[in-house]
Amino acid sequence: MSDDEVKRILYVQTSGVESPARSATVFFLAASAAAMDVEVGIYFTQTGPTLLQRGTPETLRVKQGGATLSHFMDQARDLGVRFYVCQPSLDLNDLKMGDLIDGVEMIGGAAFNNMALEYDRVICF
Amino acid sequence: MSEIQIAATLDCRGLTCPMPVIKLSKAIRTIEKGAVLEMLATDPGSVPDLDAFQKQTGHAVIEQSQADGVFRFLVKRTK
Repeated sequence: MSDDEVKRILYVQTSGVESPARSATVFFLAASAAAMDVEVGIYFTQTGPTLLQRGTPETLRVKQGGATLSHFMDQARDLGVRFYVCQPSLDLNDLKMGDLIDGVEMIGGAAFNNMALEYDRVICF
Repeated sequence: MSEIQIAATLDCRGLTCPMPVIKLSKAIRTIEKGAVLEMLATDPGSVPDLDAFQKQTGHAVIEQSQADGVFRFLVKRTK
């Protein structure tokens, strides 16, 4: 490890299955950051959690005839990117934790705001 | 500079962002500390990306060149 403190970026993903073209960028950038040894989290809110519904990443095509979302999502997760949701945004999309892919962490509004204050940068999509 | 020993070559020709940096991140861990990785890429974005990679990770791009649309980088693992 370098002597410098590890840098951290928190991404916020606000769109979901309703707009496939907006679904992959966050995973691209998160993976790129993680590849540079940045600690990365993605917080899914508004319709963002719909991307995490079990079965969705394998079927959602970012672009017609293109790769599925799972390709980009797995790439980010392989590099250690962590996924977060909060309860109200699950309710908004009629989802429960059990409906989501494995490994998603539940946090609340206080925890999100605390992360936002502690991370080096917060980037919203 | 022709004395540099290349431990491994990573061929990223034809790959676009973010794949070259992701592959580099994995490949650099497979060589010994102090060893040099040769990376080939065709994505013009890989030039600023490798600059960012070395700034953030501390690994060093010790040589960079371009020929026939192919960028060649020598990256030294520093940690």
